[in-house]
Amino acid sequence: MRRGIFFLLLLFLFAFSSFAQDQVFFTGFFPEAAITKKLSNGNKVNFKVENQEIIYRNFENPEDRWQFKHYRTDLMAFYDWKLSPLSSMALGLFYRIQDGSNSYRLIQQFAVLDRFRRFRMGHRFRLDQTFTPGETAEFRFRYRIALDVPLQGDEVDPGESYLVISTEPIFSLQDSELGLENRFVLTLGKLINSQQKIEYSVDYRTDGFFQEGFRTRLWAKIGYFYNF
Amino acid sequence: MRITIIFLVFLLISGKGFSQKKIEQEKRIKKQEVPELALEWLEDSFEGRKKVRWYLEISDQGISYEAKFPWNEKFHSVEFDSLGNIQDVEVEIQQQELEKDTESNILSFLQSEYSEFRIQRIQRQYSGNADDLEDFFDEGELERLTIRFEIEYIAKDRSGNQAFWEGLFDQNGNLISKREVEIRIMDNLIF
Repeated sequence: MRRGIFFLLLLFLFAFSSFAQDQVFFTGFFPEAAITKKLSNGNKVNFKVENQEIIYRNFENPEDRWQFKHYRTDLMAFYDWKLSPLSSMALGLFYRIQDGSNSYRLIQQFAVLDRFRRFRMGHRFRLDQTFTPGETAEFRFRYRIALDVPLQGDEVDPGESYLVISTEPIFSLQDSELGLENRFVLTLGKLINSQQKIEYSVDYRTDGFFQEGFRTRLWAKIGYFYNF
Repeated sequence: MRITIIFLVFLLISGKGFSQKKIEQEKRIKKQEVPELALEWLEDSFEGRKKVRWYLEISDQGISYEAKFPWNEKFHSVEFDSLGNIQDVEVEIQQQELEKDTESNILSFLQSEYSEFRIQRIQRQYSGNADDLEDFFDEGELERLTIRFEIEYIAKDRSGNQAFWEGLFDQNGNLISKREVEIRIMDNLIF
């Protein structure tokens, strides 16, 4: 576990040092926490808070570069319907607190799990609509594929670690302008006990592929998850 | 009261014989940590097998060792008790490989019990004494072995409840026991 965290840190520093100067780049700290309640009918309710703090941004002026600036806080709630033991469908509400542009978002998603002998593969299809005052609505389609690999044995048991590798292309449409973003996340997690998990991740987000201004955002994440 | 106790005792005894164990923890171990007896049996029975992955399993019935490896293009898992005595060998097979009568018995059970079902995985399980098991795997001699089928399936019962099951069937495809398996879907793969 400790070696894994060290590796993530190295990867983070590597990605940090290799960005190009002419692109927008910023990096920071991204703590998140979620609680999930499993209902007696098998459905789930989930609440999640994410907080993004920018620590470094590649401004022209070197004095402006290092900072500790609140970027976003996102609050979300989901109701998830179990469709089968391996798939579910959810509706979500999302509220974003961001300097000057708080926004609301509606989320619809379908998630399905593929089981393999030594790992699982999770697919998530998501539609969302974001409403920001003073802007036209933004519509997005996202598909995330995630590989969940236990690091001790073929199943993750309490006290054991796991690795999650995921990538998520996001297609967006706003003002008849098409956008594409990708999120690559490498996570090292630990199932503390049957109810709690802690995860350390490197979250690498790239966007502006079609529009001007290719942008890279690199986050060091720490997540805490509680289930009951 | 007495009836309750008798019933409970009966349940305990019958449970031991039939039900599949519930695994509490399973972890990968090195070959050096495996009892010599188990290594020897595996060496004699599957000569020239490819890389074997060893696991230690802690269940409600104590500890056991399990070897997993491909053999003749089929996935094998071999279970040993805590001292390294062979318990059983499970071989993953396709539905077409079941004997017709066995298959039709299994299917008719599933059809009678559930409104919908989907078979996920079938394993043929061989158990018996160490020598008979060895003879079967290295010489193909099928004598005095018990054959059972362990089948994982997703099914919807009459009340519309869908669940993941693990059923144990005898050689003819009659149900011995079944239990619901909870598939732990990590919430992080959903939300």
